[in-house]
Amino acid sequence: MTDLKHFDEDHLVLHFYGELDAGAAAQTETHLASCGDCRASYARLQRVMAAVDTLPDSVLPEGFERVTWARLQPSLQRSSGWRSWFVRVPGSLALASAILILVAGAFFAGRLSGTPERADIVTADQMRERVLLADLGEHLDRSQMMLVDLVSAEDGGVLDMSAERRRAGDLVTANRLYRQTADESGEVRVRELLDELERLLVDLAASPDTLSSEDMANVRARIDANGLLFKVRVLSTAVRERQKQMRPRAGQSS
Amino acid sequence: MPQTDAAAVALARGGDSEAFHSLVDRHSRAVYRLAYRMTGSPHDAEDVVQETFLRAYKQLGRFESRANFGTWLHRIAVNCSIDLIRSRPHRETAHDGTDLEQFGAAVERNDRAGASPERLMMSTEVHERIAAAMTGLSAMERAAFMLRHFEGRSINEISQSLGLKTNAAKHSIFRAVRKMRIALEPFVAEPAARGSLIADH
Repeated sequence: MTDLKHFDEDHLVLHFYGELDAGAAAQTETHLASCGDCRASYARLQRVMAAVDTLPDSVLPEGFERVTWARLQPSLQRSSGWRSWFVRVPGSLALASAILILVAGAFFAGRLSGTPERADIVTADQMRERVLLADLGEHLDRSQMMLVDLVSAEDGGVLDMSAERRRAGDLVTANRLYRQTADESGEVRVRELLDELERLLVDLAASPDTLSSEDMANVRARIDANGLLFKVRVLSTAVRERQKQMRPRAGQSS
Repeated sequence: MPQTDAAAVALARGGDSEAFHSLVDRHSRAVYRLAYRMTGSPHDAEDVVQETFLRAYKQLGRFESRANFGTWLHRIAVNCSIDLIRSRPHRETAHDGTDLEQFGAAVERNDRAGASPERLMMSTEVHERIAAAMTGLSAMERAAFMLRHFEGRSINEISQSLGLKTNAAKHSIFRAVRKMRIALEPFVAEPAARGSLIADH
């Protein structure tokens, strides 16, 4: 704690934070009153701590709350359900959720890129996987169409985003479910892509009703810079390929 | 939108999503700021915000209506940040001093790169230096220091929260303070006195 004459820095830190017992604290105070070196050290420590206290809070962008809510809302709805949840959720999405629960862990685990199992025996799991593949494929197609629309939107002043916002909002919930399934199944690349897609969808869902041409240019640049459209297309193709491989051959029952 | 947090909580408990939305609007910035201080990462802070409100929503039934919602949420956010930090592999603080030396050398390089005492006195630069020093802290050092310095938690509480031995928690704080001191010494001491706070000891 101390050497023969002076307190070390750690001891002064404990004193500063009031972590010493009453006896040690009193002893320290007495020593500080009589020792110029330790008093100077302690004063410097106090100044360092005072400087740390001046650290301003991080600056958050306007609309932070909107984005937070857009990301949070689907999880809240899923966790226990607002009363209106079952009324508002599209039937196909509720079905997809149920299917996801059934096949989580069995679907993503390497199957998108792996060799399909024998196609001559169709199990209940494979049936569910087919349904899920169809759902995921449709989701990717819808996302792809939206990205294409955004990238190719005419650049003419203010753009009405109300329809795109709704589209993005619809896609966020489904995307989140697929992303979580990919995450739980350890399918890292799929999860990363869906995560990237979700961030964009969330921002779009939380965007104002209109975007300036400059804002639109930023959205397009974001899609281009990350090659998002290309990656979604590749994954969509992989899903479709997998669907083809899963299809029963002629003469086989399904 | 409900006028008070208490009213919003009461409505949210009854299934009113807009009431909960209003709570998110009022408190999400504060939660983010706390989470960012604790984790040092914007992405982690965003995740903590999500997890905090999700837990709060699930636990609304347990919230005492006479309590302060902001304080209750703050506690949840601290716990979420701690859970996130603990979920990551980490080493308990090493004591070889190597990273402190590297840290000190980096600070010296920055000083030589043109930070005159006059410039350094500018508050924006002070803040930049603090922020830079924060990034030099390990996850555990940062969490322990934030809990001690900004949250007023005792070292015993911190060691329990972070799953560290008391000495490890203590040394995480000591090392964090040393790094802060090295980074900030130009602002709080004469240039000639720069160096160890206790060089003569």
